[in-house]
Amino acid sequence: MPILFLGLLPQKILNRIPLMTGTEIYKRTPAYERESREIRLHAPQWKLLLAFDGQRSLSEVALSAEVSFADAVPLARKFLEQGWIEEQPITLDQYLKRMGVLDISGAAVPPATVLHGPRPEVHAPPPLPASTPAEKPAESSPVPEKAPVAKSSGRPMRLNAVVDYITSLVGNISIGQLLVYRVFLRVPPELLLGEDIASVQLVNDTSLIRGEKLQQAIVDAVNIVAKRQLPDSVFAPA
Amino acid sequence: MPLNERDIYYFIDVALAHLNKITGNEIVLSDPSIEFQSLVFSAYTGLLHLKDGAEGFVYLTASQQFLQYLAHSNRGRATEEDCREIIGDITNTIAHTVHKRFGAALRISEPRIFSTVPDDPIEMPPAVFVQPLIWRKEHAYFVLGLASAENP
Repeated sequence: MPILFLGLLPQKILNRIPLMTGTEIYKRTPAYERESREIRLHAPQWKLLLAFDGQRSLSEVALSAEVSFADAVPLARKFLEQGWIEEQPITLDQYLKRMGVLDISGAAVPPATVLHGPRPEVHAPPPLPASTPAEKPAESSPVPEKAPVAKSSGRPMRLNAVVDYITSLVGNISIGQLLVYRVFLRVPPELLLGEDIASVQLVNDTSLIRGEKLQQAIVDAVNIVAKRQLPDSVFAPA
Repeated sequence: MPLNERDIYYFIDVALAHLNKITGNEIVLSDPSIEFQSLVFSAYTGLLHLKDGAEGFVYLTASQQFLQYLAHSNRGRATEEDCREIIGDITNTIAHTVHKRFGAALRISEPRIFSTVPDDPIEMPPAVFVQPLIWRKEHAYFVLGLASAENP
């Protein structure tokens, strides 16, 4: 049973693997397919391994798997050594397209959407827990959607549900949390402090927001910054 | 052009990559928070002011022990001067790398290095984003303060 012992590969083996620049494209191998049920890895390592799709570069894969590039390189080297991934060669056209340079004919080739992946159709996504990797619905210019509009009706608003919803709009938790930050930059601090909210924990904040002015300010901020309407589910059940 | 969330995350990624390089990938991220009323400062801080693409500041603040551990990785026992130098090196690396990526689209100040609290007052933005970093049970914080929510 192959088990990955991090940091235990002999240096001479690692030396056979060329230095990585982040532009390399890897895909999972038939050997991986054969052994996958027996491989034992930590969850973040699985996340990285499963992100190698033969399409995205190492740096893009690291970003999507929420692993820093510095962490991704030694893991990728070890996946290579285990034979679970292999480099995917690309054509000149693909290379030029990725680099965003002129192709041979001189026509401008748009830069690859390195950080903004294809946006799937979005139909009122339910709020996801922050730990759930979303399928990258949108980033800072999401398409307004028809969602059940948040209406308080006297119910308290669950801060963690608001945070999780905003985070889920971006297919990357860390970046989603920065979107949450941007949203809260638009909420008047005096309203937050008026409800004794001096900080928002971006994971599992148990605060309930009862003031309608603050609730409305948050709804408005999400609408303006994330261009979405908060779903009704951010309110506690009646 | 104003920076979006991915651009801003680049600051954190650069800082993390640099720290992980020194520590052998041992930096652990704790859950971040948004603070509306206070700024967190540890023993030593390296701060950069931002203008144009983003208005505000970023800083890394770390406990003396955190920096001493970093120093031990390189140069043995750390004095106060060493701690200032280390936080200065990290801040310079962040500034340099970010400048390389964004060029003239984002103006970055010279790093301000101070211990305990800033020598000159820092204007508190409406909210700051605080990302705690842990290494060998010692804490450092990456703090981002944007003046407004203006989005690209």
